[in-house]
Amino acid sequence: MTRVLVPLAVLKGQSVSPGLETLLEPVDVTVLGYHELPEQTPPDQARIQYEVRATKALEDLVERFKASGGEADHRLVFTHDREQTIDRIATETRADAYTIPGASGQIERVLVTLTGDVAVDRICSFVGDLVGPREIGVTLFLATDDEASGRELLEAAAETLSAREIDVRTELAVDRPPFEALLETGVDHDAIVVGKRAPSLRSLLFGEEAERIAVESVAPVLVVRNIDVDETATAGGTEGEGL
Amino acid sequence: MGGEPPPAEGTNVEGESPDAEPTVETDDATITDDAELERTLGLSGGLAIGIGTMIGAGIFVFPGLAAGQAGPAAAGSFAIGAVVALLVALPTSELATAMPKSGGGYYFISRALGTLAGAVVGLSLWFGLVFATAFYLVGFGYYAVDTLAELGIAVGDGLVIPIALLFGAGFTVLNVTGTENAAKLQNGIVALLLSILVAFLGYGGLDAVGLVGESAAPEQFAPFGTLPILTTAALVFTSYLGFAQVATVAGEMKDPGRNLPLAMVGSVLAVGILYVVTIFVATSAFGSETLAGFGETAMVEVGRHYLGAAGAFAIVFGGLLATMSSANASILSTSRAIYAVSRDALLPKRASRINLRYGTPHVALGLAGGPILVLTATGRVELLAEVASFLHLIMYGLICVALIALRRNEPEWYDPDFRVPGYPVVPALGAIASFAMIGFMQPTSQLVGVGIMLTTAGWYVYYARDVNLRGEL
Repeated sequence: MTRVLVPLAVLKGQSVSPGLETLLEPVDVTVLGYHELPEQTPPDQARIQYEVRATKALEDLVERFKASGGEADHRLVFTHDREQTIDRIATETRADAYTIPGASGQIERVLVTLTGDVAVDRICSFVGDLVGPREIGVTLFLATDDEASGRELLEAAAETLSAREIDVRTELAVDRPPFEALLETGVDHDAIVVGKRAPSLRSLLFGEEAERIAVESVAPVLVVRNIDVDETATAGGTEGEGL
Repeated sequence: MGGEPPPAEGTNVEGESPDAEPTVETDDATITDDAELERTLGLSGGLAIGIGTMIGAGIFVFPGLAAGQAGPAAAGSFAIGAVVALLVALPTSELATAMPKSGGGYYFISRALGTLAGAVVGLSLWFGLVFATAFYLVGFGYYAVDTLAELGIAVGDGLVIPIALLFGAGFTVLNVTGTENAAKLQNGIVALLLSILVAFLGYGGLDAVGLVGESAAPEQFAPFGTLPILTTAALVFTSYLGFAQVATVAGEMKDPGRNLPLAMVGSVLAVGILYVVTIFVATSAFGSETLAGFGETAMVEVGRHYLGAAGAFAIVFGGLLATMSSANASILSTSRAIYAVSRDALLPKRASRINLRYGTPHVALGLAGGPILVLTATGRVELLAEVASFLHLIMYGLICVALIALRRNEPEWYDPDFRVPGYPVVPALGAIASFAMIGFMQPTSQLVGVGIMLTTAGWYVYYARDVNLRGEL
């Protein structure tokens, strides 16, 4: 079964938009309530003070997800490092994707970007499971400077989704800045699906691309994890940062 | 991963009970009934806390004072301090891997030796850290004045205390309101400092043994005899107080079974070596009397001696960074020490409240910052240092005793990942050495230290007599 992790800064009042809630109906959901603390504060100190309140908010959210269909549960984590927490919980729950909350009403069309070095097959099969036979359209987007092979990739991906009776469009951006082109296309879409990418110098400087897309587009973003890579990375990560 | 001591019980005078949530520890998180606490500190973070807390005092404040008391043999005093610190760091590592919780030494002692010992240590640690922070701040003040002097603005020593007070208040406010990840900054500062020192000491060391430059007039190694070596060791022991601060963040350390012992023992070894070399280089540059005349910032003159104005500037800059990082790290440890005792109902729970706006423990930080400023205002460097050492040494000695107590009658939950080599000799020596070190301090420091311990014991009897932290072993 497909599982999506929904991380929320639960004590800052972050919640799930109605559109995202509907979009996630067919999949299992783990709501990850997290509270990020500055290093001055031991996480346990925050737990003592906020645990009850946070748990109550999370239980309400889980009820909402259960009422609308799939299985749902929750985890509550107090942390100094949000990304590390999301990675760990996603690995432990074997989640296929995680969300970055945004604003959205009814979801009619989802934008799926295949730009860059991402696991296209994983993304397509996830989108297939997510959208299923519902009345939600999918736009496949690719920014590239190699028009021919780009078109080929898009056609192949579109075919696998059409085979599952999904209304697919494609959008190829040639020789345009990928990030801006994506945002431009994203304007008439209600949610964006991206693939998780390996950390790069760019992401180190400007923050993770998925986060930037979420901030700029205001729409909910679903990040499809590359499970094989993530699993080995986490196994190595527990060895500590070293020197 | 280790098991867990039995839950604490009982109530204090206000009817509050210790927080007794059962937990499961993994390498990545602490899992309680309803929540998880992420472990986010790696080995480098742990080393930065240990080294960052320690390095300020030993290199940038003490060389002049120590050389004045013990001559070139002050290097021996620092070596003695390192050996004692190591004898304590090993048992502390074992206990920390058995109980990887925030609170450090206080937590181990209260669980192994009972509430009275725990209360005295926990509350004394608060004051011990306050004294240490005040000491670092005064050191910082001296460096700030010297920095101004290097820049051609002579303001005189009269401004040392006002500057120290200003920055002490500033650090406290920053810690309440600052939410940026200052840990990364701290790591960077420590790395920068280490590179400055290694470069400087490398050159100075070559010079001192006569390979470069001209050879200095030899001086008698221990001009004042052996006793001053020991009393100086007691004074400079403040330079080794940082390793136990690593244990106060044990609850946030990734893979604690591996990283805690490495961070504690590693930071003691690293600073111990640096200290001994520093004293050697400093006493080779000047006679110990001259060095003593330079006072708290003697190292600046040593830098000037070897590398001219650039050397002086590097040391002044390093001294500013180092004393600053020591002071800041200690303020954070103080707030954690207060949290640890208030969680166990030895202080009102209000003391560990955090505010949702900044997510910081403003009450505990205030309880750290206030007394720190009062003590800083006294400006008594040696007294501040010795009282800080006194209160820490009591804790160190009791940590060793706690280890022996637990090992003699090992409870079922006790399952450390790291075991002290050479048990029972190492912890026994650690305890004896810690308590003996106190005997070599000035009588005033001993009086102040004993006074604080009696006060904390009195507080326990009044406030938390009915709290039981040890449980049934």
